[in-house]
Amino acid sequence: MRARDYTDLIGGSLLLIFGLWFAYYAGQEYDLGTLRRMGPGFFPVSLGYLVAAMGLLVLLPALFREGGLPQPRFRPFITIIIGGLVFAFIVERLGLVPATVALVVISALAEERFRPVRTAILAVVLSVMAVSIFTYGLGIPIPAFAGMR
Amino acid sequence: MEVFANLGAGFVTAFSPYNLLYCFIGVFLGTFIGVLPGIGALATISMLLPLTFHVPATTAIIMLAGIYYGAQYGGSTASILLNLPGTPSAAVACLDGYPMSKQGRAGVALFMTTVASFVGASLGIVILTIFSPMLAEVGLAFGPAEYFAMMLLGLVAASTLSQGSPVKGIAMVLLGLCLGMVGTDVQTGQQRFTFDIPYLADGLSLVALAMGLFGVSEVIASIGRVDSSRMKAQKITFRSMVPTRDDTRRSIGPMLRGTGVGAFFGALPGTGSTIASFMSYAVEKKIAKDPSRFGKGAVEGVTAPEAANNAAAQTAFIPTLTLGIPGDAVMALMLGALIIQGIQPGPRLVTEHPELFWGLIASFWIGNVMLVILNLPLIGIWVRMLKIPYSILYPAILMFICIGVFSVNNSAFDVMLVILFGILGYIMLLLRFEPAPLVLGFILGPLMEEHLRRAMLLSRGDPMVFLQRPISATFVVITFALLVWAIWAAVRGRKAMPEEAEPAAQASMERPAP
Repeated sequence: MRARDYTDLIGGSLLLIFGLWFAYYAGQEYDLGTLRRMGPGFFPVSLGYLVAAMGLLVLLPALFREGGLPQPRFRPFITIIIGGLVFAFIVERLGLVPATVALVVISALAEERFRPVRTAILAVVLSVMAVSIFTYGLGIPIPAFAGMR
Repeated sequence: MEVFANLGAGFVTAFSPYNLLYCFIGVFLGTFIGVLPGIGALATISMLLPLTFHVPATTAIIMLAGIYYGAQYGGSTASILLNLPGTPSAAVACLDGYPMSKQGRAGVALFMTTVASFVGASLGIVILTIFSPMLAEVGLAFGPAEYFAMMLLGLVAASTLSQGSPVKGIAMVLLGLCLGMVGTDVQTGQQRFTFDIPYLADGLSLVALAMGLFGVSEVIASIGRVDSSRMKAQKITFRSMVPTRDDTRRSIGPMLRGTGVGAFFGALPGTGSTIASFMSYAVEKKIAKDPSRFGKGAVEGVTAPEAANNAAAQTAFIPTLTLGIPGDAVMALMLGALIIQGIQPGPRLVTEHPELFWGLIASFWIGNVMLVILNLPLIGIWVRMLKIPYSILYPAILMFICIGVFSVNNSAFDVMLVILFGILGYIMLLLRFEPAPLVLGFILGPLMEEHLRRAMLLSRGDPMVFLQRPISATFVVITFALLVWAIWAAVRGRKAMPEEAEPAAQASMERPAP
């Protein structure tokens, strides 16, 4: 099989699919209007088709040239996502300090070597910073620990 | 002289203790993140956007601007000492700065870059002061057709002239425009692409988008890659910073030329400090009597680009403040910050918010003086900061991102959004799409749609209006020329790709995130 530039092949296809969906959805849901009085659908539909066209322009040349596969680094990718989601989930339920500690500990797992002492110190320091800057400094209505005011 | 009276009033604003403090925080943070590879001005400005909602608009913009031009000063430090650019625009400083460092002349290189930065920035501010009111005057005559055409040109220029493939740049601008459609349509009140999620009624959060694309994805890409702690200890003494007479003599011309090149490319929409610094390096090499000295520690190879990127950082504010057209993603964030504060940048800004406009310009002077102090006597601190391991830095960055985005609306939904955009940003990084044009499109999208609809309404549905008005027609023609060039480059690139792509791709993988 001939070598292809898979990076652009994937990128172009994603753009093509997204653009077509965007244009289709906007066309179905929103009024196009006329050139003189454009409706809420006109601009999005045009944009969708333009995105799709760009997708094709990325996709087609990629069929005829060589190129590598993208090499994702799953470990930092997944740990950081989980860290952020856990933060979002517990910040309102348990408070700022538990959320910060959870974020620091989970994101520390992104590295090959886990350093417990350094992570613990960092979690404490950052929690103090978070509470002093955001809760006290800027007065955002989120307590250090839930139930504490 | 009206300019001096205005500038005087500006200094009164800028010298208020509150503004001075924020200006200092801005330039300090700017230098800090400029010095550190793996975190850039874009990520930092987006991280600090939520903090600025708590202060007046002038103060907010003074601080955000300080981060931007402060990063231009700091960026070259890591280039010179580690051969690792702290910011993309400092990449050129590696070429001659690092050889200078290896010859034991790191002190001189650091000194000269600071001087060049100050010269470039100062002249840039003068140009900004003179040309902004003039341009604003011109801008007052603009109607919706001109605005639409000018935004179109800005977007096309930004996407085709930036790094990487022009087609991919345009695709990203369009994707940004699409994301900008989410929310309530201003003219009909129709909810678009909100999928009945109440949080989306006001549109996607700019803060979440910028932090996700620049912050989260940068962290993911940098973990385990950026490691500056292995740097050899290099003492920078005052004595080692003194340039020879030859260094000084060689630098004056390049600094002035660099400033000229930088001021031009900075003010042009779509080109920013990175292009300016590369261009000025090329200019110096071309006109040098002995081009072979370049790459081996020629001082003019450091001073010219450094003057250029600082001049560009200042003149980039011209189109942003006077026309409301941001030239690059950093300026788009500034524009976003102003819009969030309820100030619409445009030709009326200078007359309607003189305290903001002139206060900001005055703060540039103050900030640049602060930067010289921060960068010369205190250079040792920054050199030591280069040793902070990334494993301490990135959890702190993530914390600021998560809490910062949460604090804007006190909503956990925005935190999820930031993670979502982080995922998008990382996928874009893997597939080699630039995030900067996307943010530009996102911010300009709603404005463009509004001007387009208004222009069409005024012309009774005749699209020729964009070609009948001379200013708008000029913009359209330049846009068209750029597009033709981009397509031509893409077609030509298809044949040239296989040979060139491999080493380039390799280099971009090795390079730490900007």
